[in-house]
This record gives sequence, structure tokens and C-alpha cells, in this order.
Amino acid sequence: MSVIEYDVIVIGAGTAGLTATAWLAEQKLRVALVTAGEPTACLSTGCIDVCSRDDQPLAGIAGLPDGHPFHRVSPEMLGQSLDDFRQMMADMDMPYKGALEKNRRVLSAIGTFKNTCLVPATMEASPQSDDERIHLITFTGLKDFYPGYILSRFPNASFSSYDAGVSTTMGIAANFEDSAFLETFLLWLERQKIREDKIAFPAVLGLESAFSVLKQIESRLERPVFEIPTLPPSMPGRRLFNAMKDHLRRRGGVIYWNWPVVGVERSGRQIEAVTTEAQGRPNSLNARAFILSTGSFVGGGLYAKRDRIVEKVFDLPVFAPENRDDWFDQDYFSMNHGIGQAGIAVDDAFCPTDSPWNNIFVCGSILARTETLKNGCGHGFAIATGRAAARSCLERLK
Amino acid sequence: MTFEHCIRCTICVENCPVFRVQPDFPGPKQAGPDAQRFRIGREKSIDDWVLLCSQCKRCEMACPCGVEPAQIILRVQQRYGLEHPHTPAHLLFANNYYLSALGSMTAPLANRMAASNIGKKILGQMGIATYIPFPKFSFQTLSREKKNRNRGERKVAFFYGCFINFYRPDIGRKIIRMLQSFHINVVLPPQVCCGLPALGNGNLALARTFARKNVASLSNYIDAGYDIVYTCTSCGLCLLQDYQGILEIPEAKKIAENCYDLHEYLLKLIAEREIHPVFREVNRTLAYHIPCHLRALKIGYPAADLMKRIPDLDFTILDDACCGLSGSYGFKKTNEAAALQLGERAVSLVRKTGAAAIISDCGSCRMQMGGLSGMDAFDPAEILCESLGIRDKK
Repeated sequence: MSVIEYDVIVIGAGTAGLTATAWLAEQKLRVALVTAGEPTACLSTGCIDVCSRDDQPLAGIAGLPDGHPFHRVSPEMLGQSLDDFRQMMADMDMPYKGALEKNRRVLSAIGTFKNTCLVPATMEASPQSDDERIHLITFTGLKDFYPGYILSRFPNASFSSYDAGVSTTMGIAANFEDSAFLETFLLWLERQKIREDKIAFPAVLGLESAFSVLKQIESRLERPVFEIPTLPPSMPGRRLFNAMKDHLRRRGGVIYWNWPVVGVERSGRQIEAVTTEAQGRPNSLNARAFILSTGSFVGGGLYAKRDRIVEKVFDLPVFAPENRDDWFDQDYFSMNHGIGQAGIAVDDAFCPTDSPWNNIFVCGSILARTETLKNGCGHGFAIATGRAAARSCLERLK
Repeated sequence: MTFEHCIRCTICVENCPVFRVQPDFPGPKQAGPDAQRFRIGREKSIDDWVLLCSQCKRCEMACPCGVEPAQIILRVQQRYGLEHPHTPAHLLFANNYYLSALGSMTAPLANRMAASNIGKKILGQMGIATYIPFPKFSFQTLSREKKNRNRGERKVAFFYGCFINFYRPDIGRKIIRMLQSFHINVVLPPQVCCGLPALGNGNLALARTFARKNVASLSNYIDAGYDIVYTCTSCGLCLLQDYQGILEIPEAKKIAENCYDLHEYLLKLIAEREIHPVFREVNRTLAYHIPCHLRALKIGYPAADLMKRIPDLDFTILDDACCGLSGSYGFKKTNEAAALQLGERAVSLVRKTGAAAIISDCGSCRMQMGGLSGMDAFDPAEILCESLGIRDKK
């Protein structure tokens, strides 16, 4: 067995885990991130939802039911973690816009609005009402983006279609990284004689350089341009993940890809190590503390059996509505499926309650009563709890 | 895990380098788990686009559900290879080992031929791309190295791989000298190609022949108390993963349990306080291009952990881009455009770091990145040797 020693091991590479790891690395701890695969963050819109149920995120948080883990994060901690996030993304040349005081709207690919707090700068010009005059650009054969949905809700919108030679979001985004392609495209765009005030694109304006591509289009067409998030593969989600990952590494954190944790070594009330599979010998990662950020059901942190829900790494006690009948609402699209509350209940230090181990900290959507969809507690919640759990972990180690 | 565990999240597609630049390839999700649902029958395979997969394994590293798209595609590639005639390029690259042996034997002539215009034309006719120069054959291969026993207790059987043997035996000699400087007893066991090029070109039977020979030889050394150390990450992946997996070699588990990446092995000996290397300053700024197959080995980035101990050495880890060559993949005319586009992207990421040279564990990555950028491309072992003051004899 190959044994590797760290101060802290973080399990799960979503926004919560990435935030916690990067912050601990900044505090000069020896920290590593272990992940079974890439996170659901890659599939996201890249928007930072703090609490989207209210027009004001802070008021929304205050109105969350008792026992919601957001109440364990102080407003200062929330503000600080989001400020740091914005600074980090600006340093990576992917600035974010918005403020904690007020949520803003982002136009979705079906013409509805999504409430969110911080948006990638490529979505800053997204319309705030459906009477705005916008011109949509779509791409021949791009099957995941139908302008018709938006046109049906926006009376002052029109569209044109460009043949990019490829018909997938990934392929088109890769083309936009090529300056010759961009130039040809811009010449075509100028010929369209667009009259509307703003120009909209599905989110395919490049992989790493989206912001600078957008700026070039804006300066040539002399009006605001914005991206509309698409179905996965979602470029804004990928950009967010890549930037957070690079930032983490620059701070000295280590990432182990595709290392699903298969075993745990315990001693007394402490977890001493987690083991992961490898082709030859298993790896044993020893650490003084562990942070669990493996996500909820889709992320793979929780798994529902017929009779109970299990937490897959440490087998921590999972909170879930007691009565099995309360797990699901009759209406499929309801926001009130009780199963959304399932997760790990924690104390003020983000340590699991009723757990036999005292060196585990939990953050992100695996926390009990989060109800990510219903409350609109997305990446913003993950960033804030990731930071809070990491700080609590650091205090414990001192 | 089987294809049925796929939840169709497309994270694998986002990670596929080929999908990014090759519109004919439907991506790992469609080529792997999706199409697998239709491959159960006995009909002859018609999905020739599976050959466009370069087997970089990035999809497998990214999949959150443990589905192995590349593994599914690899098996379909073998089936396609069985049912259809092979192109000259596929035949040549599958037999790369024999070809290289011949090339090395006639090194001065073979090198001149490969670099000449006529040579390039002939290669082009056979469907082989020549956008970067072919590596130069070395007349004095590593396998001809004289035995040089050292009386250490720690015994290593070095699986050097074809690239070092035929093209860069100087790196191999440095590595041997480095291990010997730690009083490790190094031998060069009888060995042939690991079999990965044959697998990559749809020649399962040939791959199995190579694998059986290697396992028979290495197994004896393990019994005699030797640890197997490899340095080529693709050879390593084949020894560890494919021998147990698709090639179904008995005893492969024993090989996997006793096989170490060179840097992983050094770290292990340092952790066990068996060796105490003293690293001296190396004043370089480097970009560490992580080979896809190093990621797939799931041993972390051990060379990076070692190089962190070298004073003054400044390096940036880049693990998001595939160099595009993928062994013999980029050398085929059909893949040339994709390989070039991917290679140029990888090089542009290197340039952004401001590095003066590239390091990479994989010989073919170095060939591509060095060839396209004109920068020096080193094996991390060369940097370690520089720091430890170990030089090639010459």
C-alpha cells in the first residue's frame, strides 16, 4: 500500500470542496482533494445562487426554516467568502458580477428567468424583463438551443443562425478560441444589420477566453452581448470548475482524480485514513482531519436504498424525513419533495451530530435540510459552507 | 462498471480532447455507453468512428459514476479490428516494436530515410503523418547495455519500454545510474513491447503475445525478490490495467502489485527512509505537461512531488490538455488535423506559463510538444539527475 500523509483530506471536488481545499492551502496546511470523478458543478450554469427564493439573498436566508445549515454561517463569513470568490475569478480572467444585497435575473434557454446572485461577466447584460429588444444568434445544427422558446416569450426579439461547421457546444466553443474563426464570424455578424439593443448567444463563446471573445464582439457591434446558459455540456459550468481547480493548485493544494474512497481506517474516535483503489496497490491517505463535500444524490454523496439513505464514504448517520411516504410529493415538478432535506445534520462547527468520529467536517449540498432546488441555495451556499467548515477544521487542528 | 451505470451527464464529453476538434467522433458518451446498447447482437460492427478514439482515458478519469467509456470503446475497437482488414498504418504501428528493432539495427540509414523527402512521401502514401519529425532511432539500444551489478539489497528490474530503448537510451542509462547511486541493484530483464501500440491499433492477438512474454519474464524476477520499475506511463498503464483487464493474462495481478512508476518508487524509498537523496539547485522554469496516462494510473503526480524538493526549480502543472499524439494516434493521416489542433492548444497553454522548457513523463508527449513548440522537452528523471549530479557516460 502506498501511504501519503496530509494535514487535511477533502473528499469531493464540487464548489464546496474546491473552496475548502484552496482556503486551507492558503493557510499553509498540507491538503489534498480526493474525488471520484468530476463534480456536478461542471453541469451547472456557472451562476452563483446564494439564496434565490427571495429578491434579496440575505432576507432569503433569514427566512429559511430553523435548522437550515445556512443559519450556521455568519453574514460576515458569507460576505468574505463571496468577495474572495470574486477576486479569485477576476484573477483568472473570468470576472463575476452582482452583489449580495440583491439578486439579479438571468435569461434561460427556454425564455424564462432564473434568479441568482453572482453571474459570470458574460451574462451581465442578460435582460431583466421580457420587453427588452434582443437579437439571438444560434448555430446551424446546435440541437440543445432553440431560439423559438425565447421568441415566444419575448415580443421584441429576432434571431439569425450561423453555420460554425460543427454543431455541438464543445465544438463551437473550441472554434471561438481560434482568432481566424472569430474574425470570419464577426464579418458575418456585421452583415446581419442587427437593429436590436442587445445580442444574445448560447453559452458557447469559447472555453478559457470567453470573456475576451465577448468583449471583442461587443466592441465590434457596439452594443451589449450576453450568453444564455445551455444544457450540459455547459461551458460556463466548465469554466467555473477549471478556474477554481487551477486556483487551488496555484495555492499549493493537490488533487487526486478518480480516486473513489473505498475504505476508512479508524482508531478510537478518529478517522485516521481513507483508502482508495488503484490499478496495483491501494492508496492510503492519512490525515488529521477530513472534510466531506461529496454532494447529494446526483453528486454521489448520498445513496437511497429501499429502506434508508446511506452516506457513502464514512457511513455517517443520515437525516431524512422519518416517514417514507413523505419522501416524495405527488406532483413531479413540486419543490416540496421531502427527500430534498436528506443529508448530514451538523453542529455549529460543521461536525456531524450523532457521529462516533470527531475529526470529520461536512459542507455543501450533502448537509441536511439544504433543499438546494427549493431554496435556491446553490454554489453560493457551497462556497460559504465550504469556507466555514474549513475554518472550523483549522481551529480544531491548532 | 457497465454501461448501464451511465446517467448521461456528458462530463466525459466535456473532457474528450478528440470530440473537441474532430466532428466525426460522436464523443465518449455516444461511442461508449450509448452505442453499447446496440452492440449486443452478432451483426458485424459498422461503427468505424470508434477508431477515432485516442484512448487517452480522460473520460474515465472524469466520470462521476465509475463508467469506463474508454474501456468500452477499446473493446469495440478490438472487435472492429477482428472483423475488418487493417490499413497499412494500423499494421505498421501495431508492430512498432519489430519495426523499431529493425530501425535501430540500421539506424544511420533508417534515420536518413525517414527524414528524406522520398521517405516522407512513402510514409504519406501509407497513411502516416509527418508533421513532426519521426524520433531518431538509436543504434546502441538500452537492451544491449552491459550488465553492471551493484551489491545493494534493494533489487529493481527496470521495464524501460520501447521509446527509451530505441530512441532515447541515454535517458535510460541516466535512470539506471541514478538508481545505482542509491545503492540499488538494477537489472534489465528480457522484455518486449508492452503491447499497448498493438491494442491501440486493433490487434488484440499480437498484444496478448507481447503481454505473455513480458509477464513470464517479469514474474520470475518478482519471485527472485525484484521490484518492477517502469518509466513510460503508457507502458505502466498497460502493465497494470490492460494485462489484468482486456488481455486477461493470468498472473497479471502479481505484476500489478509489484510494479512501480520510477518516481513513485523513489518517493516510497524516501518515505521508508531507505534512501536520502540530496537535491541541489536547478535553476529552471518549466511547464509540467501531465500525460493523460499518468492521470489514468491513479498514482497522483509523483514526479511533481519529487521535483518540489529541488531548490530553485519553478514548475507549473498542466493537466487539462492532451497533447494529441497519443502514441501512434496522431501519426495516422486520418488523425493528423485533430492531433495538430490539440497539440497547438497544449503548446499555447505551456507558453502562457512563461516556461523555458517542457517536462513530461511520456516520450510521445515530449515528441509532440517539443516538435510543435521548438522548445526543449525533458523527462522529469532528467531534471532529477541534473539535480543529483548524474550524467550520461558520454
